Amino acid sequence: MWGSGILKGFAITMRNMFRGPITVMYPEQKLTLPERARWAVAPRYDAEGRPKCTACLICVNECPDHVLNLEVSKSEDGAKHIDRYVYEVGACMMCGLCVEACPFDAIEMSHEYELATRDHGDLVRVLLRDVDAASTRRAKGGDDA
Amino acid sequence: MSALGILGRFAAMLVLLLVNGVVLIYMLRKVLGRLHLRIGPNRVGPFGLLQTTNDVIKLLTKEDLRPDSADAWLFNIAPYLIFVPSFMAYIPLVFGPTLAVTNLDTGLLLAFALTSLVPLGVLMAGWSSNSKWSLIGGMRAAGLQIAYEVPLLLSALGPVMMAGSLDPARIVAAQSGVWLGFIPRWFVIPQILAFVVYAIASQAETQQTPFDMSEAESELITGFANEYGGMRFGFMYLAEFSNTFIVSAIGTMLFFGGWQLPWVATPAWLAPFVFIAKTYTGIFVMMWARGSLPRFRVDQMLSFCWKVLIPVSLAWVVVWACVQRLWPVVAMAVSR
Amino acid sequence: MTDDPKMAWAITAEGSQFPGPLPCGLRCIPRGVDELATEHLVLNMGPQHPSTHGVLHILVELDGEEVIAAEASLGYLHRGIEKLAESRRYHQVPTLLDRADYVSGLHTETAWALAVEQLAGIEVPGKASWLRALLMELNRYASHLVWLGTFGMDAGAMAPFLYIMRDREMLLDVIEAITGSRMMFNYVRPGGVVADLPAGVDAKIRAWLEVADTYLSENDALLGGNEIFRMRMKGTGVIDRATALAFGMTGGCLRATGVDYDLRRDVPYCAYPELDFEVPLGVRGDNMDRYDVRVGEMRQCIRLIRQLVDGMPEGEFSGKRSRVLKVPAGESYAAVESPRGELGIHLISDGGLTPYRMRLRSPAYFNLAVVDEALAGGLIADAIVTLGSLDIVLGEIDR
Ligand code: SF4
Ligand code: SF4
Repeated sequence: MWGSGILKGFAITMRNMFRGPITVMYPEQKLTLPERARWAVAPRYDAEGRPKCTACLICVNECPDHVLNLEVSKSEDGAKHIDRYVYEVGACMMCGLCVEACPFDAIEMSHEYELATRDHGDLVRVLLRDVDAASTRRAKGGDDA
Repeated sequence: MSALGILGRFAAMLVLLLVNGVVLIYMLRKVLGRLHLRIGPNRVGPFGLLQTTNDVIKLLTKEDLRPDSADAWLFNIAPYLIFVPSFMAYIPLVFGPTLAVTNLDTGLLLAFALTSLVPLGVLMAGWSSNSKWSLIGGMRAAGLQIAYEVPLLLSALGPVMMAGSLDPARIVAAQSGVWLGFIPRWFVIPQILAFVVYAIASQAETQQTPFDMSEAESELITGFANEYGGMRFGFMYLAEFSNTFIVSAIGTMLFFGGWQLPWVATPAWLAPFVFIAKTYTGIFVMMWARGSLPRFRVDQMLSFCWKVLIPVSLAWVVVWACVQRLWPVVAMAVSR
Repeated sequence: MTDDPKMAWAITAEGSQFPGPLPCGLRCIPRGVDELATEHLVLNMGPQHPSTHGVLHILVELDGEEVIAAEASLGYLHRGIEKLAESRRYHQVPTLLDRADYVSGLHTETAWALAVEQLAGIEVPGKASWLRALLMELNRYASHLVWLGTFGMDAGAMAPFLYIMRDREMLLDVIEAITGSRMMFNYVRPGGVVADLPAGVDAKIRAWLEVADTYLSENDALLGGNEIFRMRMKGTGVIDRATALAFGMTGGCLRATGVDYDLRRDVPYCAYPELDFEVPLGVRGDNMDRYDVRVGEMRQCIRLIRQLVDGMPEGEFSGKRSRVLKVPAGESYAAVESPRGELGIHLISDGGLTPYRMRLRSPAYFNLAVVDEALAGGLIADAIVTLGSLDIVLGEIDR
C-alpha cells in the first residue's frame, strides 16, 4: 500500500533511536588505534636510550614530499654526527615510506595523532638534535651489535 | 480589559514564545540527534541545556548585514512580517478552562488567518534579498504554503462542525466526556481522515521535511533565508518554531481534546500542563517525521495538494455534513 | 499566429533570446502569457554548494524551476597528479593516487600496481591478489555507503546518512587495521601489498558481516523503500543506453541503462575469476535504476567479502617490492572496476626510474560529462539528485 514504506521508515528511525548514540566523546573518550595506524614519524631508540639512526639519509631521499631533512657533520675520524634531524610534520602525509625504507629500523610511525597546534612553528619538529649517529658509536665503542 | 491587562497578556505571550523557541530548538537538536544516533548538544551547560541560550546571544550580538543590492526596506521588514503573525497566533490558544489570552468567537479563524500571512513575509524576504537562491525559495514558499492553506482550513471544518463553533474554547469543551462509555470524546476518532489531512498540511505549513521546499538545504542552501544573518535570521528561525508550536497546539485543540485529560475531569491547575504536553507530543511527531523522511519534489508536492489533499478534505466536509445532518434522523428512525 | 498552441509558442520563442520547449507541466501556453517577457535565470551552482559533492561548479539555466541547460565547470580541485607522478618513483606513486579518488583509494592503487606489473613483467603471489580483492571490495562497500548517504541527503533524507556513517565506521576500522590508514592507504604496491592481514582482523570483518545485511536493508528501506523517494527517482535523470555509451560512461551508471559490462567479470584481474558474484543491471537508466543497481552491488559486495574472507589462501602476501624499480620502456594499460566505473591507468615508461607519463582514466569524469544531457528538462530538485546519482568524486575528476 502507498505509505507503508513511509511508516516503515518511521519505525526504523525509532528503532535506531533506541539503539542509542554511537558518538565517542572525544577528547574524554578515545578509541584505541590499531597497531598499524600511521601518524607522526618518531625516532626509535636502542636499549640504552640512544637513537638508532645512522644518518644514512635513505629516508630523506625516500620521502616523496621532502619533509625530512638531516643535517649531518663529520668529525675528523669520519664519524657521523647528527646536528639536527628536522621533520616537517605539517607537510607530512603519513605515508610511511620513510619508515619502510629505513634499513636500521631507526624511525617509526608513532600513534601520536593529536597534531593540531596554535603555533605554526610547532609544525616543524626536530626529531634528533646534536647526537652521534649510531654507526659512529659503533665505531667508537663497539657496544652496538 | 485595561491597558495594563493587555500589556500583561502580551508580555506573557512573548515570554511563552521565547521560552518555546529556546526549548523547541533544544528539543529539535536532541530529538534529531537521538534519531540519528548522535547525542546532540551536550557541552554548554548540563546536558547542553544552555546551547540555545548561547546561540540566541550569538545571534543578538552578530553584525547585522544586509547585501548591498538588496531592497533595503523590504529586506528589513520581512523578518518581522514572518515573526509577528506567528506571535499573534498565540492569541486564540486555550491553555485551560479559564486560561487564554482572550476569548474570541472566531478564534480559530484568526489563528488560520494569521498563519496564512507568513508566506507573504517569506516571499518578501526571498524577493528583496536579490539572490537567485532566495528568490526561488521565496517563490516556492508562496506557491506551496498558500496551496496548503486550503486543506489545512478544510480539515479543520470537521471538528468545527462537530462542535458547532469557531471558538477554540467551545471546541475543546465539546470534547469532554466519553462515547459509548469508554472512548474519549476526542474528535480525532470520527475525524481521523481530517486529522491525517491536517497533519500533512500543517507539516507543509511549517515548512518541515518532507515539505521544506522553500529552504531545501540540499537544493537552495537555505532558500529565502540565505542572505539573512544575526537577529533577523533569528526572528525567522524563531517564527518557524513558534509556528510549529501553533499548528501542533491547534491540532491538539481540534482533535485531541485540548487541555482535557481523557476519562477524568481535569483540575484547572493541571490543564495548561496537559495542553502543553499534548502539544509537545505533536511536535515530537513532527520532528520524528523530519528526521525520517526524504523531501518531496516541488511539483509533486503541489499536485499532491491539489489532486489529493484538497479533494479528499472537501469530500470529507461534504460527507461529514451529511452524516451530521442525517444522524438524528437515522437515530430516530432506528429507535422507533 | 497559428491556432496550434505548440506552434504559437514556437513563433513567440523564435524572436526571443531563449527559444525552448514548453515549461514543465504545460501542454500549451495560457492566453496572454506568451506576450509576457520572461527571462531565464542562470544560476551558479557551486563551487560552494551543499550538493555538488566537492568543488564542482555547475552553471544551470533555469526557466522557473525547470532546468533548460546545464554545464559543468571543472578544475577547482586540480592538483596535477598526473604530472607529479612523472617525478615520483614507481612505488611512491600510490601516495598520489590515494588522493585522486579519495573515497576509494585502493582501487586506484591497484590499477597502478597492475599497470606497472604488466609493463615490468612482475608476478604477484596469489595471496596478494586475494588481499587486493578483499581490500577493494571493502573499499567499494565503504564508497557505495558514502554515495548512498549523500544521495539520501540530496533527496532531503538526513537519517540514512548518519546510519551509514556508523556502518562505514566499522569498515574503516577494518581497513585501518589492515592498511594503517583510513583514507590514504598506501597499501597496494607494484609487486604485492605492504602487509599481511593482522591478527584479529578476521573477527572484525566477520562482526561487520553479521550486521551489514541488517544495516543495509534498513537504509534501503529508508530510501528505496520510501514512496516519496521512489516518486522522485522514477523517470528522472534518464540517460539512455546510446547516450551512456557515447559519453563513455562506465560502472553503475552504465549498468543502470542495461549494458552488461563489469570489468571484474569481463576483464578479470586479481582474485575475481575465482569468485562468484552477479552483476545487477537496470533497464531505464533513470535515478531509480542507478540506485537499485548500486544497492544491488552492495549486496554482491557483502557476498564477495564473505567469499574472500573464507577463501583467503595461505602464502606470501608480496613478491619483491623494490624501491628503485626500473620498468622497461613501453606502454601498458590496466583497469579495475572502481565503485564509479572503469578506472584505468595508462602508463608510459622510458626505462627510467620514474614514469614518463601516467594517465588516469577516471570514470567519474566520463560519468559527469553527461550532466548537460541528463539535467536538462528536469527541475532543480531533479538536477540535484541526478548529480548525486552519478556518484562523482571531484578529486578523481579534477586530479
Ligand atoms: S611518512 Fe611519508 S611524507 Fe611523512 S616523512 Fe615519511 S615519507 Fe615523508
Ligand atoms: S632514520 Fe633510518 S633511513 Fe633515515 S637516516 Fe636514520 S637510519 Fe637512515
